[in-house]
Amino acid sequence: MEFGTLSIQQLLSGYQKKEFKPSEVAASFLKNISDKNEKLNAFLQVRPDETLSQARALDEKMSQVEMLPLFGIPVAIKDNFLVQGWQATAGSKVLSGYLSPYTATSVERLQSMGAVIVGKVNCDEFAMGSSNENSAFGPVRNPWALDRVPGGSSGGSSAAVAAGLATVSLGTDTGGSIRQPASLCGLVGLKPSYGRVSRYGIVSYASSLDQVGPFSRTVWDSARVLEVMAGHDGMDATSAKRAVPRFTEELKAPAKKAFTLGVSRSWLEGVDPDVAKAFDSAIEFFKKMGGKVVEIDLPHTKYALSTYYLIAPSEASSNLARYDGVHYGYRTQSAKTSEELYSKSRGEGIGREVKLRIMLGTYALSAGYYDAFYLKANQVRRKIQEDFEKAFTQCDFVVSPTSPSTAFKLGEKTDDPLKMYLSDIFTLPVNLAGLPGLSVPCGLDSNNLPIGFQMIGKPFGESELFAAAHQYEQIRGEFPVADMAKGRG
Amino acid sequence: MSLEKYEAVIGLEVHAQLMTASKMFCRCPNQYGSSPNTNVCPVCTGQPGALPVINKKAMELGVRAAIALNCEIHPESVFARKNYFYPDLPKGYQISQYEKPFCTQGYVVVQLKTGEEKRIGITRIHFEEDAGKSNHEAYGTLVNLNRAGVPLCEIVSEPDMRTAHEAGQYLRALHSILRYADICDGNMEEGNFRCDANISVRPIGTEKFGTKVELKNINSFKFVEKAIEYEVQRQVFAIENGEKIIQQTRSWNSAKNVTEVMREKEQAHDYRYFPEPDLPKLVFSSSWLDKIKKEMPELPQQTSARFKAAFDLSDYDASVLTSSKELAKYFESVVSHSKNGKASANWVMNELLGRLNAVGKEIDLSPVSSTQLAELIAKIDSGEISGKIAKTVFEEMFATSKDASSIIKDKGLVQISDPAALENVIRKVIESNPSQLAEYKAGKVKLLGFFVGQAMKETKGQANPALLNELVKKFLDS
Amino acid sequence: MLSREEVLKIAKLARLTLTEDEIGFYQKQLTRVLDHIQDLNQVLTNKEAFVQHVPVDAEPFREDVAVPFANHDGLMKNAPAVENNCFLLPAIMEQN
Repeated sequence: MEFGTLSIQQLLSGYQKKEFKPSEVAASFLKNISDKNEKLNAFLQVRPDETLSQARALDEKMSQVEMLPLFGIPVAIKDNFLVQGWQATAGSKVLSGYLSPYTATSVERLQSMGAVIVGKVNCDEFAMGSSNENSAFGPVRNPWALDRVPGGSSGGSSAAVAAGLATVSLGTDTGGSIRQPASLCGLVGLKPSYGRVSRYGIVSYASSLDQVGPFSRTVWDSARVLEVMAGHDGMDATSAKRAVPRFTEELKAPAKKAFTLGVSRSWLEGVDPDVAKAFDSAIEFFKKMGGKVVEIDLPHTKYALSTYYLIAPSEASSNLARYDGVHYGYRTQSAKTSEELYSKSRGEGIGREVKLRIMLGTYALSAGYYDAFYLKANQVRRKIQEDFEKAFTQCDFVVSPTSPSTAFKLGEKTDDPLKMYLSDIFTLPVNLAGLPGLSVPCGLDSNNLPIGFQMIGKPFGESELFAAAHQYEQIRGEFPVADMAKGRG
Repeated sequence: MSLEKYEAVIGLEVHAQLMTASKMFCRCPNQYGSSPNTNVCPVCTGQPGALPVINKKAMELGVRAAIALNCEIHPESVFARKNYFYPDLPKGYQISQYEKPFCTQGYVVVQLKTGEEKRIGITRIHFEEDAGKSNHEAYGTLVNLNRAGVPLCEIVSEPDMRTAHEAGQYLRALHSILRYADICDGNMEEGNFRCDANISVRPIGTEKFGTKVELKNINSFKFVEKAIEYEVQRQVFAIENGEKIIQQTRSWNSAKNVTEVMREKEQAHDYRYFPEPDLPKLVFSSSWLDKIKKEMPELPQQTSARFKAAFDLSDYDASVLTSSKELAKYFESVVSHSKNGKASANWVMNELLGRLNAVGKEIDLSPVSSTQLAELIAKIDSGEISGKIAKTVFEEMFATSKDASSIIKDKGLVQISDPAALENVIRKVIESNPSQLAEYKAGKVKLLGFFVGQAMKETKGQANPALLNELVKKFLDS
Repeated sequence: MLSREEVLKIAKLARLTLTEDEIGFYQKQLTRVLDHIQDLNQVLTNKEAFVQHVPVDAEPFREDVAVPFANHDGLMKNAPAVENNCFLLPAIMEQN
């Protein structure tokens, strides 16, 4: 039997009917990974014995399927999560060989609810990038077209699910790193509200923007993973102390059926024609369901790129200071002074784009520049938040394409950082405002590459996001899967 | 030498370790002396993905310090990152407070030699985490992170002190207050109370500050005044010799009794402070602040006032007895057992502190416990021994830590109050001094003292003096 | 354009050794990004000194209870060099 393209819901139903066992499912995924990963470079670490022993332990608990909401679900974890017993490189040479001494809260919650980890997956170094070409362990390829990027930074997470090598995966999203690759790989990708999911145990990039979220085939699956891992964590002082709705229960009987979508046309200028067309057709679906569309004004979103590229690198320059070769990680062999030990370990161990951002952030925080750069950016950030607050007085969601283009070719945007950064213009403001954002597949372009539709919700408004996206998904019909995910090899 | 033409301008920065069970931002034990890297976890070793969570008790102790030091408390403040690289700073930054500390503008009143009081301003107090410890060996640097993340308050004074003595008194007052309020144990040897001094000199009458020198890590009261005094003189001599004071960091060499250069004015540090994004702003609710105010432990000045009222002590006595929390506690314990405030104060201050001083011991290491001293005082009050004998007994107690009763018993020092026993002695003395008896009988009544003295000598001083006096007179007059 | 000296100064502050090629590369790239960022000067903003990003219902405090971490070995195993259970830096000519 082939499990690669099944959803969580389908797997759970099979387990309930005792059609198959977790160890059979896990073995099948491991086999596919070993067959297909060479082409994709999505997985950085697999531990077949460990995965199978987890799955076999579940075989003994078949009667508990209903009590474990992720019973026997194969999950791939981005390599910037710490999971005890597994490596955590964050895609960097500086953390090559680093073995996690503890487990991230989000992962711990998935494991305790029956999820089976099939492997750690590739990403842009320290989650900085939009194409997964910044990994020290080589680029990941898009299962829809192997000469194209899967998006980034969670490119391994999106490629793994799109290729049928995991049922769901976890990624992190600091400026679009879940939604953009989900869009480029034809998946549902969710960045929850800031504070919804604990950040404990994910390698920090920009603390005020980072969030953990799932990649999945369906909205229901996304809701299921979120309801398991969300909620206050005593190890993360920025995680919200508020009740987590039973999202999948809510999907059975949504409270609201007709939604008002906010669109800012001036924000959407310059997207690919195919993307614009798919976006408009998705809006038409919502109208058919009785929804309304209103024009909203987001005057400060055009500053999101500059705001982001001051705040994120500033925080990163500090968050990444710990990779200095003293307590763990890469250490240079040629240091003669302690200063050299830091500088050379960092200079040799950290990659090109990450160094650029560290220097950018160091500059923005340095004496004499703080007010003009870091502080100013935070003040503009507040303006962007206010734009959304105002928009939400007129609409339930703000919608946009997830990315201005579909998957581009490897090497196409690596020369000019700004060209690459522009891949994220629709996703960056959402992180800056701390809002939940969901990307749901809404079509294919003329090259048969997936296009994503982004829905941005009110703070902690994931319930409504899921309700609307679920409704859309049902009217849209089943989304195609990449050829690679069909069958073996 | 023209020292008197100059005045020193001194400000102190004190790092006080807070008495919590766990560290500032993680659950590791806040414990001294454990074997290396055992009180560590992902947070305080700066592992990827680890995050800080604030120890509420540490906040409470900081607020207590703010109250005790008369500060203005800010209900909203901000943690900030101070970024620099050092082997014992595993995250590459220290979580501290910068632009918005939790309290500012306090003061401490200190007693000067002249008997006057002086108010020393406190600029600010802020929270920060301690770094680990680096030991530099010939084969390399060893880093132990047990101390990394231990909670500290940094207390920054105004440059209000003008002499080494003032600085010493300020430091003593601060030390005593923090210990009274159970904020910091004040242990300087373990580095739980550390002091840096900023020192400059200027001609008396001028306003402008001179170039300041930072004196680092003065880790004992004994050295604070010596070190500052030396540094002030050094600066004055330099200026008088036409030299320029160089902005630098110096340290006290207690073997040579000099300050030495640690480093020249460093390439101006750029710490790139910014608000700690892993923590929300620090908010203290007014109800929580009120609760801390209500539950404040007694401070030295309050204890002193209470002693004066309860035991009828002078200002001076009360201030001596409350100079440290341990001494005040000791005294209170003595009184509670002896039931004699005045005598207890005298014995503690004159005999006990005198002896302790002579052997260089603190009260908590006193060989005579408070209950033992109380027993001794009670024996005087009950007439069991005389005050004079008591001093002999005390010497023995101090030397051996034995109870008064066992010393009195072993040495047969009990006061003789039995008239029959005394009468035998008196009879003997009178018989062996016939000529003095004749003179007495002839009217030289002054000789009563002679006979009492001889009798006392016979009893080795153990006779009850009042009874002896009475009996001698009776015998002579009969 | 950012000067070579400016790039070196930033790299020193960030403790990053750069190769000759990298110095020129970052001169261009940093300049490119910094030029773009200038557009923020067009935005009129309030002068607030601190912008909170954490949800209001976050809980930053924990009780003062010591709970020792169970996996010390896991921490020390990742160290590049260990001596007497301390992190070891090789003997170096000078201290910073």
